[in-house]
Amino acid sequence: MSTASHMPAAGLPTARRRSRAWAQLRTNPSAMFGAGLVAFFVVVALLAPVLPIPGPAETDWAAVRKAPSAEHWLGTDEIGRDVLSRMIWGAQASLLAGVVSVAIALGLGIPLGVVAGYRRGWTDAVISRITEALLAAPFLILAIALAAFLGPSLRNAMIAIGLSAMPVFIRLARGQTLLVMTEDYVESAHAIGLTNGAIIWRYVLPNIFPPLLVQATLTIATAIIAEASLSFLGLGQQPPAPSWGSMLNTAKAFLEQAPWMAMWPGIAIFLVVLGFNLLGDGLRDAFDPREN
Amino acid sequence: MTPDAPPLLEVRNLSIRVANARSNLVDDVSFSLQPGRTLCIVGESGCGKSQTALALMGLLASPPLSVTGGTALFNGRDLLSLPQAEKQRIRGDRMAMIFQEPMSSLNPVLRIGEQIAEAVRRHRGVSNSVARARALEMLEKVRIPAAGKRLDEFPHQLSGGMRQRAMIAMALANDPELLLADEPTTALDVTIQAQILDLMRTLQAELGTAMILITHDLGVVAEMADEVAVMYAGRIVEIGATQDIFDDPQHPYTIGLMSSMPALGRRSERLVTIPGRVPSATDMPDGCRFASRCPFRIGICARTPELSNPGGSHRVACWRAPIEETYLQPQEAQPA
Repeated sequence: MSTASHMPAAGLPTARRRSRAWAQLRTNPSAMFGAGLVAFFVVVALLAPVLPIPGPAETDWAAVRKAPSAEHWLGTDEIGRDVLSRMIWGAQASLLAGVVSVAIALGLGIPLGVVAGYRRGWTDAVISRITEALLAAPFLILAIALAAFLGPSLRNAMIAIGLSAMPVFIRLARGQTLLVMTEDYVESAHAIGLTNGAIIWRYVLPNIFPPLLVQATLTIATAIIAEASLSFLGLGQQPPAPSWGSMLNTAKAFLEQAPWMAMWPGIAIFLVVLGFNLLGDGLRDAFDPREN
Repeated sequence: MTPDAPPLLEVRNLSIRVANARSNLVDDVSFSLQPGRTLCIVGESGCGKSQTALALMGLLASPPLSVTGGTALFNGRDLLSLPQAEKQRIRGDRMAMIFQEPMSSLNPVLRIGEQIAEAVRRHRGVSNSVARARALEMLEKVRIPAAGKRLDEFPHQLSGGMRQRAMIAMALANDPELLLADEPTTALDVTIQAQILDLMRTLQAELGTAMILITHDLGVVAEMADEVAVMYAGRIVEIGATQDIFDDPQHPYTIGLMSSMPALGRRSERLVTIPGRVPSATDMPDGCRFASRCPFRIGICARTPELSNPGGSHRVACWRAPIEETYLQPQEAQPA
């Protein structure tokens, strides 16, 4: 999990940095490859209802644990469900978990971090101490504990992952806010009498956005792994609804008889995480003034 | 010297202190300003001139800095004790400030027009289109070429001089009665400096804005000021009408400042420097703060001198004033 240490500094004028950043991102082959991978999985997940595939929970007792064939491209599982179909519907769960939990982390982390960095004093002290306490617990352990506490379901898993990823965003948003607060344009915003709300909304948030975007992209990858891990442990997506993690969990009982059952979800998790990481790395490089 | 009209701004005994410091960073500063007039505060870096202006705006970096005493009556209301919301209402409306660094004083992600319009909307509660029209009017007033096009540009698309013009437009958008300018031309090229000063003078005459101009450049003072306050190590050491101070500087520091300024024409030996350096902000000496560098130092300088009027034309804080002409350096600076 990457931290604030190698985030871009909000030093350069952000607008100029931004237009140059997109130009650089487009010419970065590994970032574009990552974006392509992400786009592929997103499109497939969105198209799940219209693709000519059997339902993800449709069983065929005549085809139990069949190897990949023309009829079932990725084979079937232990009760005769089409693995391709479950992979595609499972992509929805994985991507949704990645995006929603990061949205939760951003939605809570940015306000808390910005308030801490903007107000400083005891507000900052309280928020920062709580953040440090949360950061002391390993990400996945915290997510598992929270998910177990909330009860097993995809929704609760997303909440648990989001809360576990939140402290990183609090810390990053706070640090970036502290940095932006030292900028002359914030002082001149005060000098024209703007209220704190207006300064946060129009001056602070847009200027701390790039590093948060980078962190969010990288965290989606982490969240997808976390969702798979929780589902593997039975704390995420509940049967019969498919998810890559729960498919792996089932597959481990049949590793010798039906290795494809474990192979496809494994490959898919690998590829989608790779995609988000390459995209995130590309964004980071593009926004980092030191590497331009 | 002082007209009969009540002053727009009357600062009395303003003191600012760094947390845990032994002495005040800005100590017992008093001055007043009539509507439409220009006061220059001169002094070298770290003498407290910027902190004085920031304190008036309510923008002091606190902590660690805080106002420890004094009043600043602006139209009869004490700026230093106003609640935060009141200060926000006055800032950018009745009083405004422009800063030293035009390159970094504009929000990089907002268009120029939006930033100016924001100041207008905030204080006048007008619609977006009215605020935008006002922004355009202001950009034209500060003579930005192709103002209509610049309105929709981002700060990085403008040159330094143009950004400073935009800052001035933003500061003056609500017709403030008082403009604080903290070294507004220091970061600019010399030719642009002259243009900006010229613009500020023209707008001031047009709008009747009073101005406190902070600078270390005596050339700027000679060009802009009605009155001058010379600050040294957090105190005003000499204050009066510009002409009087240039004609007859009384404080050894002012005299030193003027002799260290290169003059056109007669080329004398070397430029004069003032030996020693400014005492540290956290460790000011007792008594006269200039004493350790002063060639006229005597025993009584261990006590703090008050501003008084020994020479007749203006006030100076020095036990030795008036210093006899014979002590002075051979070349005396003249106003430009």
